[in-house]
Amino acid sequence: MRVSFPTMGDYWVFTKAIFDKLASELVVPPPVSQRTLTLGVKYSPEGACLPFKITLGSMIEALELGADTIIMPGNYGPCRFGYYHRLQEEILRDLGYKFQMINESMGIRRMAASIFKGSRLSEFLPGLIFSLAKLKLLDELPHTLYRIRAIEQEVGSATRIYKDTLKPLDKAKSYRELRQVKKEYLKKLGSIPTRSSDGVVKVGITGEIYVVLEPFANMEIEIELGKLGVEVRRPISLWEFVSNFNPLVIAFGLGERRRCYRAARPYLSCHIGGDGWQSVGEKVLHAKDWHGMVHLEPFGCLPETVARNIMSKTKEELPVLNLIYDEHTGKAGVISRLEAFVDMIRRQKRKPAEGKRSNLTGGRAHGSLSRH
Amino acid sequence: MIKVGIPRALLYYQYYPMWRTFFEELGAEAIVSPVTSRVMLQEGGARVVADTCLPVKIFIGHVLSLIGNCDFIFIPTIRSIRKNTYNCSKFLGLSAMTRAAVPEAPPILDIMVDVNKGRLRLYQAIYRLGKNFTPYPHKIRQASLDAWRTQLKYRYMMSNRGLTQPQAIAKVLGTSTPESQVESPETKTTIAVIGHPYLLHDDFISHRIIPRLKQANVKVLTPEMLADTTLESAVMKVMGRIQWTCESEIVGAGEHYLRSDVDGVINVMAFGCGPDSLMMDVIRRQATRLRSTPFMNLTIDEHTSEVGIITRLEAFMDMIYRKQRARVAVCG
Ligand code: SF4
Ligand code: SF4
Repeated sequence: MRVSFPTMGDYWVFTKAIFDKLASELVVPPPVSQRTLTLGVKYSPEGACLPFKITLGSMIEALELGADTIIMPGNYGPCRFGYYHRLQEEILRDLGYKFQMINESMGIRRMAASIFKGSRLSEFLPGLIFSLAKLKLLDELPHTLYRIRAIEQEVGSATRIYKDTLKPLDKAKSYRELRQVKKEYLKKLGSIPTRSSDGVVKVGITGEIYVVLEPFANMEIEIELGKLGVEVRRPISLWEFVSNFNPLVIAFGLGERRRCYRAARPYLSCHIGGDGWQSVGEKVLHAKDWHGMVHLEPFGCLPETVARNIMSKTKEELPVLNLIYDEHTGKAGVISRLEAFVDMIRRQKRKPAEGKRSNLTGGRAHGSLSRH
Repeated sequence: MIKVGIPRALLYYQYYPMWRTFFEELGAEAIVSPVTSRVMLQEGGARVVADTCLPVKIFIGHVLSLIGNCDFIFIPTIRSIRKNTYNCSKFLGLSAMTRAAVPEAPPILDIMVDVNKGRLRLYQAIYRLGKNFTPYPHKIRQASLDAWRTQLKYRYMMSNRGLTQPQAIAKVLGTSTPESQVESPETKTTIAVIGHPYLLHDDFISHRIIPRLKQANVKVLTPEMLADTTLESAVMKVMGRIQWTCESEIVGAGEHYLRSDVDGVINVMAFGCGPDSLMMDVIRRQATRLRSTPFMNLTIDEHTSEVGIITRLEAFMDMIYRKQRARVAVCG
C-alpha cells in the first residue's frame, strides 16, 4: 500500500514520522507550487474554496508519484471541509485514477484498521508519541524565528536556518536527537546579527487554518511581515489543534482555542464550523497584547465570512487587516496592503506615546521613535 | 399584545407556520416583513461585508424593515435537526451576525436547536423562549405541541398534495386556497426546479422563475414536494452520508428528479454560496453520468438581469421541446 495525503506547510515532517513505524509506504507529495494550484483549479468546481483546490492538486501530484491510497481528514460539520473528500474522490475517479480514499467518515475504527494493516501496535504506539513530539517541536520552532526575523540585519538569514533545521528534524530518531536539533537551532538563531528591537510591532495571524499554515496559499505572509519588522504571533497550528483533544485540556478549559471561545462569547456563542469562532475570539483576546491582526480567509469561506461580519463590530479595538485569497490573488497586492497596514499600526502606536511625551516636554516629540 | 417580528427570508419558508402557531398560542402576534425589494437588498447589503451571500444580505434587509414594527425579532439558531447533519455556517451565526450588523434592532429572540445535544437541551431551549411570553410551563408545552402539529400538517400538504411552500403557507393561514399542482390541468412538460426554498420562492431573487414556467404551461416540481425520507435516501445513495440539512434540497431532490421522468432539471444557486458550490457540482456530475435528463444551472447574484434569466430559460425550454418533438417523430 502506498499511502499519501495532501500537503500543508512543513507538516510532512510529522506525517513521515507517523509512517516510520507503519507497514505501508508513504508518498510525500511535492511542496505546494503553482503547478499544484493550476491542477487543482482546473478540475475543481469554480466556487469551491481555495483549500479545496490546492488539496485536490496535491492529491493529483501524489497519485502521479504512484500513491494508491489517499488519506483525507474531514468530519461532520457545518462548513465545506467535511464535504471535500467525497467530491474530490469523485473528481479523481472521473479523471481515471484508481485509488482508495481513507476517511473518518468510514468510522474511526475502520479507518485506523486500514491504515495500520500489517503493522504491530507495540511498535506503532511509541512511534506515534514520538511523532507527536516532533509535531510539538514544529509548533515551537517558529516562535523564536518570528522574533529574530523582525530584527535580523540580513534579510532571510533566520528563514534559512529554520529551513535547514527541517532536515535534521525529519531525520531525528530519538528524543535526544530532537533535543539536540532544538538546541542547535536556537543557538544558530541566537548568533544572527540583529538590530535593536524598538519599533518592532506585534501582529497576530489568524483565520482559516489551511491558508494560515500553508505558506504558498498565504503568499508567505509570515516572511513578508518579518521583512517589515513585524514580530508575528500565530497561535494556530496543527499541534494546537491536536492538543485540543487532550482530555485534560478539555476538562480545565485550557488551550488557546477554548480561551478564544470564552472571549468571543459576548459576540458569538456557538461553533460555526471551521475556525470562525476562534477568529472572533482571537481579536477579542489579544486586543491588548497585539498591535494588529491579519485575518486570512479563502474567498467564499463560510465561517470566516460570518466571523468577519462579527469581528468588525466588537467593542475591543484592534486594527485588523482582512486578506481574502483565491487563485487570482497576486503577491504584489498582498505585500502593498501589508505595508500600508504596518505603516498604519506604527503611526497609531506612535501617537499615544507622542501625546504623553508632549505633555512632559511641551510638544517636542520626534526622533527616537522613528522607523529604521 | 407583544409583537414578534419574523423576517421573510431564509428559514421563514420552512418553518413560518410553526413559529406563528407557537407565538400566537402564547398570546403574541407574529409580524412578517414585506416581500423582498431592491431597497432591502441595498440596505441589508450595506450592513455586511461585500462577499456575504445574497440571501443573507436580503435577510439583514428584512430585519431592518421590521425595526419599529415589533418588540422582538425572532432569529433562531438552527444548528442541527438531524444527528450529525448541520446547517450552513451562516445559519449558525445568523443571530450573532444580525446583532453585529444591526445594533439598533429590537431584542433578538434566539433559540438554539441542536439535536446532537439531546432532547433535554432542546426542551430547555423551548421553555426559555416561551418564558418571554408566559410564566406557565404548561402553556409553553401546549404551544410547542400545537406548533409541531402545524409543522407536520404543513409538511404533509407539500409532500402529499404537491403544494409549494408559499402555497402551503397561504393555505395554512387561510388567505387563499391554491389549486394543487397534482390536479392542475394536463401539461405535456414537467420541469423540476431545485435549490434552497429561500431562493426559489423569493420572487426578487429568483426573478419569478417558477411563475414564468407555469405561465408557459409547464408543470413545475420543487424539492419540498418530495417526502423527507425520499430526499434523504436519495442523498444517501449519492453521497453515502448527509452533511448539510440543505443537502436534500439540492443533492436529494436533484438525484430523485434526474432519475424520474421529468423533462428537465434546473438548479438555482446563489453566487458565493459555499455549500451550493460543491453540491451543484455533485448534481452536475450525476446528470452527465446519467445522461437521461437535461440539466441546467442558474447562478444568481445581485447583478443578474431579468433578461439574462429569461434568455437562458427560453433556450433550455426550446431544447426540451425539440427533444420532445424528436421523440414523437421517432415513435410515430
Ligand atoms: S473553513 Fe472555509 S475554506 Fe475551510 S473548508 Fe470551510 S468554507 Fe472552505
Ligand atoms: S446555504 Fe448558501 S445561500 Fe444559504 S446561507 Fe449558506 S451560503 Fe448563504
